[in-house]
Amino acid sequence: MALAALLMGSAVPACAADVLVGFVGLKDDVRYHPEVAYTRIEISPALKPVEGARLGIEDLKIVTEAANVNITLDEYEAADANDAIQKVAAMAQAGERFVILDLPGDIVAQVAEATKDLPITLVNATAPQDALRDLCLENLMHSGASDRMIADTYTQFLRHRNWNKVLLLVGKEPRDKEIADAFQASAERMRIEIKARREFTSSTDPANREENNTMLVTGGVDYDVVFIADSLGEYARYLNYATQLPRPVIGSTGLTAAEWHWAWDRDGATQVTLRFQRLAEGGRYMSPEDWSTWIAAKSIATAYAKARSDDPVKIDAYLKGSRFNIDGSKGYRMNFRPWDRQLRMPMVLATANAVIEPAPFPEFLHQVNELDTLGVDEPESKCKAS
Amino acid sequence: MRKTLLAAASGLLLGALVSVPALAAGTGLIFVSTEKGNEVVVLDQELNVVKRIETSRRPRDMHFNADKTLLYVACGDDDAIDVIDVATLEVVDSIPTGPSPEVFAFSPDEKIIYVSNEEDSRLEAIDAETRVSVQDVPTGAEPEGVLVMPDGKTAYVTSEVADMVHVVDTATGVVTKNILVGTRPRRFILSPDGSELWVSCELSSEIFIIDTATNEIKGDSLIFVPPGFREEDVTPVGMAVTKDGSKVLVSLGRANHVAVVDAKSHEVIKYILVGRRAWSVDLSKDESKAYVANGLSDDITVIDMASLEPIRSVPVGRVPHSVVIDD
Repeated sequence: MALAALLMGSAVPACAADVLVGFVGLKDDVRYHPEVAYTRIEISPALKPVEGARLGIEDLKIVTEAANVNITLDEYEAADANDAIQKVAAMAQAGERFVILDLPGDIVAQVAEATKDLPITLVNATAPQDALRDLCLENLMHSGASDRMIADTYTQFLRHRNWNKVLLLVGKEPRDKEIADAFQASAERMRIEIKARREFTSSTDPANREENNTMLVTGGVDYDVVFIADSLGEYARYLNYATQLPRPVIGSTGLTAAEWHWAWDRDGATQVTLRFQRLAEGGRYMSPEDWSTWIAAKSIATAYAKARSDDPVKIDAYLKGSRFNIDGSKGYRMNFRPWDRQLRMPMVLATANAVIEPAPFPEFLHQVNELDTLGVDEPESKCKAS
Repeated sequence: MRKTLLAAASGLLLGALVSVPALAAGTGLIFVSTEKGNEVVVLDQELNVVKRIETSRRPRDMHFNADKTLLYVACGDDDAIDVIDVATLEVVDSIPTGPSPEVFAFSPDEKIIYVSNEEDSRLEAIDAETRVSVQDVPTGAEPEGVLVMPDGKTAYVTSEVADMVHVVDTATGVVTKNILVGTRPRRFILSPDGSELWVSCELSSEIFIIDTATNEIKGDSLIFVPPGFREEDVTPVGMAVTKDGSKVLVSLGRANHVAVVDAKSHEVIKYILVGRRAWSVDLSKDESKAYVANGLSDDITVIDMASLEPIRSVPVGRVPHSVVIDD
């Protein structure tokens, strides 16, 4: 703020408009608990994706202030779905036009449905479920990648490498099934053969060895690669180097597809990662969830700065329209798909400490936009462009 | 008179006087900075590697002093501008800068170096002789392109995140104007008559032209669509202009082409296929050749300017950033 004031000097008229952008998260969201192993040792820290949104607002401060808009993030942590619905309604009542949602998928669906007639646009940043995209709601946008976009990233990679036979392992959590189903649908379209789909379990019960012994789970079938859908991560962590055949593991361990990885060093990504580290509590790396809230906030701020109007309806239309385009520090211009309001974006495939490949891969062409090779494309979508 | 000043300044930098006239003839050497090779690769006119000069880490933008006795190289990961003696091809000095210097420009008298520090979002003015930072101008996040007008009174700097060009009064170090341009503005060139400032905007695939008299955007932005590509595949970054101001070369990044543009009509004369992610582009003094650094194919491409055809691509090192020619 001081910086922008200094820059603009006396050029800022006194009549700058104050704008609040909502941010609704969930108290004690299990998705963001620190990953803990061996009872006391943390593998990765607790996440707090609101910090990404704070950086997005801060990054654009100089532009929004030049456009005479003073944006503040109105942060709230809801207790449950009802609380979130009431808060979003209150935000709309108070004149807020955009709210970033950092909520689990089921709550996003409830909030979007309950507030669809209010003059407010929700940007779902961290719920990847394709079912949310299929709601086709005018007021619901998505700044994080969908499950299908993530799945297509894997299958493009497998095609690119010519690893066409996959052993698909899936855990017992409902979320595991969603991830595995998205992968399977994508694999079918890419003509990647699923040699077997097997369930695993983390117990060591000798009566259930077929599901808990990694040698048995990965044995008796030939494959090029193992894909594992394990949202808890506990089983996946022990799968590398423990398969019956000497094959790589991708998915919840090994090579993982996501919106962002701190090791991406092209396209100004390093600067984003470092700015985030300076801002974030504990100086942690920017996670994919942080990137998704960052780009949501950045998109909204950009719309206020560049829509050339102070009419919220026009700002909203600009954000959703084809004139809008934004830099996510991944080398492509990005905007929102007109049919399901999903942000088009490149993805990264990374190990723990290196980005192995970005997607889309150059072999995958598209008649409109190469980024639309990732995720549900217009002809397959239930939604129609408005 | 300007020459004497320059000779004196370079003498001070070197710590010893160099016989300037003998060196000013031009060696014909081509210098390429390689971001991940941490070296400046020197090639002769036949494109043989003459020397690999080890520099501070992540060398990027490069500029000669006016008589081309010294080559300055901004090294992003060591927060320094290294100075290479063009005669001996040795690093003879290193000027400390703020964090992560990327692109820089000299004041016309070469006393001040204006450098964009992309990490802490500043345009820093460094006194070349005393090494003291004399001005520190806050910019939008990730400042990149820097250009100082020939009268030395105005500097321009882009902010990649803010999508802006900041106009800086060099006397006071104050931003006097912010010009909103396209997405992710990168580099500048100035038309030889000083009237037009061209700005490449990488992610909206446009070139904006700013009228330097008014600091307003002049006319429509220029867009490029090489055969077989779509507008969104084009990420323009580097530019070079001929001395007569008639043609501008624009590197199109991910579209792997260089566009040759008629500077007056803004028509594209030709798209020339080069290497992967073409970035910096420079012209030889006689303008018979152009050299393009290809960031993702680790090579440079030489273009014959008479036929506008690529002649040859030569591997240089990891992630070539900039090319300059001593001729």
